[in-house]
Amino acid sequence: MSAALTSAEAKAASKEKPALAVHKYSLSYRTEAGLIAALRNIDLTIAKGETVGLVGESGSGKSSMAWSIMRYLPPNAVEQGGAIRLAGEEILDYTPHEMATIRGSRVPMVFQDPSTSLNPTIRLGEQIAEVLIRHRGLTKAEAYAEAEAALARTGITHPKEMLQRYPHEASGGEKQRVVIATAFACEPELIIFDEPTTALDILTARQILDLFTRLREETNVSALYISHDLGLVSRVVDRVAVIHKGVIVENGSVDEVFRHPKADYTRQLIGAVPDPERWIGVEAPAVPQTLIRLTNAGVHYGGPSLLQRIFQPEEAGKVGFWGARNVSLDIRKGELLGVVGESGSGKSTIAKVLAGLQDFEGTLEVDGRTIGSRKAIDRAYRRRVQIVFQHPDASLNPRQKIGTIIGRPLKLYQIVPRRQVKIRVGQLLEMVRLPAAYAKRYPHQLSGGEKQRVAIARAFAAEPELVICDEVTAALDVSVQAAVAELLVKLQRDTGTACLFITHDLNLIRQLAHRIAVMRHGVLVDFFDRRDARADDRNPYTKALLDAVPVQSSSAAA
Amino acid sequence: MRRFLSSPSAVVGTTLLVLVLFAALFGPLIAPYDPQEFHPLARLQGPSASYWLGTDQFGRDLLSRILSGAPATIAFGVFSTTIGVVVGSLIGVIAGVSSGWVDSTIMRILDGLLAVPDLLFTLLIVTVLGGGMEHALLAVAVAFTPGMARIARSAVLSVRTRDYVRAAVARGESGLYIVGREVLPNALSPIVVEATIRVSFAIMIGATLGFLGLGAQPPSTEWGLMVSEARQFMFRNPWCVAIPGLSIATAALGFNLFGDALRDALDPRRSH
Repeated sequence: MSAALTSAEAKAASKEKPALAVHKYSLSYRTEAGLIAALRNIDLTIAKGETVGLVGESGSGKSSMAWSIMRYLPPNAVEQGGAIRLAGEEILDYTPHEMATIRGSRVPMVFQDPSTSLNPTIRLGEQIAEVLIRHRGLTKAEAYAEAEAALARTGITHPKEMLQRYPHEASGGEKQRVVIATAFACEPELIIFDEPTTALDILTARQILDLFTRLREETNVSALYISHDLGLVSRVVDRVAVIHKGVIVENGSVDEVFRHPKADYTRQLIGAVPDPERWIGVEAPAVPQTLIRLTNAGVHYGGPSLLQRIFQPEEAGKVGFWGARNVSLDIRKGELLGVVGESGSGKSTIAKVLAGLQDFEGTLEVDGRTIGSRKAIDRAYRRRVQIVFQHPDASLNPRQKIGTIIGRPLKLYQIVPRRQVKIRVGQLLEMVRLPAAYAKRYPHQLSGGEKQRVAIARAFAAEPELVICDEVTAALDVSVQAAVAELLVKLQRDTGTACLFITHDLNLIRQLAHRIAVMRHGVLVDFFDRRDARADDRNPYTKALLDAVPVQSSSAAA
Repeated sequence: MRRFLSSPSAVVGTTLLVLVLFAALFGPLIAPYDPQEFHPLARLQGPSASYWLGTDQFGRDLLSRILSGAPATIAFGVFSTTIGVVVGSLIGVIAGVSSGWVDSTIMRILDGLLAVPDLLFTLLIVTVLGGGMEHALLAVAVAFTPGMARIARSAVLSVRTRDYVRAAVARGESGLYIVGREVLPNALSPIVVEATIRVSFAIMIGATLGFLGLGAQPPSTEWGLMVSEARQFMFRNPWCVAIPGLSIATAALGFNLFGDALRDALDPRRSH
């Protein structure tokens, strides 16, 4: 890393004009509540051939910065002085028409989600060729040849066929490669990456990062890499700028920022990055006792209809697809069982089966009682197994007050007498570290992290034996994520409740879980104790996953 | 509220609605003349100091007739819509919540009914039941039911898969609690908005039925009937057709604009 840094510095010194220089730039948005500052006195310089990471949480202003550079701001944006210079040219003075020639050719942008940044009705080849024809003045035949070459550079195996496909016929990783190929196609000076791997699964994200590093070395392009993930950014950039509430609080080389963070906020961010070597979970119970056992569980989505089953029994097995198949696992009392897998691997399907939200095949065993179908699940079981969902915005009824929401399980299961519900709600709120006065508020008056705490309080209100956490930290910022994870551990320690923690974040789960189950394509491929994570007999897929996660480059120092 | 009144159409709609509702509530009390009183010497006159909006073929004061007809006309629109909305929502909620073959059966039948235009459907029902205000009211309510059911069902479907509803299912809540406390309060706003807009259609259909002689019967002062009765004298005194016609338009426009504004205020994403 330090070698790359010195070469970048040498380059910066040799050329006077940096690829991008933002100088004392401020931006506000006009809202009903008056002007709200999004960016304040931003100073940011990207030298030729250098990659700078802009790291911040949601609402920090990092995306506003990207749109300011692209000169594509909403009508209520008010710029309050400063300068943005692209290779020494002041782009704040440019007309929209002049900007149109710069966008795409000199400053392309790669977005977060390739499935929404590509037009679904246009073939991929045409979408790349369009940029080449527009900005480099190529003929159609030349543009297609160039597009094929550009795709080949991104490591797509059959670029010619790929050009003829529509976006829905390509995988997420392939689509992001197409977007990146388009961005690199016009030999740009500066590329803006806005969280380019966030929407992709771990293995694909890893490949895209490698591709990015390789292309950058080949073309010596400058890049602004926007992300919320400090650990990931540290692997691909030369310098990091940490942005917090519209102000850049820290700016320096990756090594410097990680080893000697100056701002408190940076320290907090570094501390919040999950470190698989730092165990924060509770002690596992000495004698393992099985709480719930799932045997050969399967979920068949879009299964055959009654008529098909009668008339075409041999075809029936091929209809629809299996969300999960032959999954057998047991959850022990008081433990934290981690379930990891990519999106669509069936991990949420298992959560729905356990929570009684999904019809299933196979059996569910609790206390020696066997449950064979969703309809056989009774209220007593539902009290013992509670679920917390991924999106806190969606899991709380917007028309009910927090007190009503948390009080509902208390009334439903008659946990406490009716008169004491209010007191107990206050206690539960304090248990999840929220002020008891929040009981009178509505969900929309709370932040995302606070809402998730309310959802957790509701789950623990039922005094359950198992809490299913379905990606509970995925929709939250890094620092909030860490706090929620710690809260869960604290609640587990206090109540002895078992927890099924579903996530795609391997670093996080290795901090928390006693045992880890790995799922892929609806099948349980691996199930192991956390101590055996690096054992040789791990499934190759598990090994690939573990190798793909970005581990903080200088975790020892932090 | 301030945001609601920030759009011009909301201000116009609210103003018209207040005007119309005032006439409906207090119209008969403030009418200057008896609406049925003949003034043989002042027939088919234009507006004047003594008859502000002029008189009809029998010399009856048009202003008094409009004011005394307001309650019947507005009530017709509001009540027929209310019945249609309540019944339609009930069917829609049942379909949306039960899903599966119950949903399919209900919705296919409703789709068939929806294929018939509202007015035609109303005419059909009135022809079967016979004319009169009550039958017309019932007919409009029945004609509105399929459309409302479809809207209620789609509102319920969009709420049904939200996580807070799934959380309630996972808790083991009763079906009644889930529908009443979790689903309905969140599905209500599109239903209310649609109902407000539909009041204007109901008023117009009611007036049309009155005009065709299938709704209110003489000597009622229902506005559609007034247009119909004055039709023959349209060229001698255009006021006796224009006044009730404009009243109908005002009431319909008021409800329509108000409903549109309500939708924009409740759901900013759908504004266009």
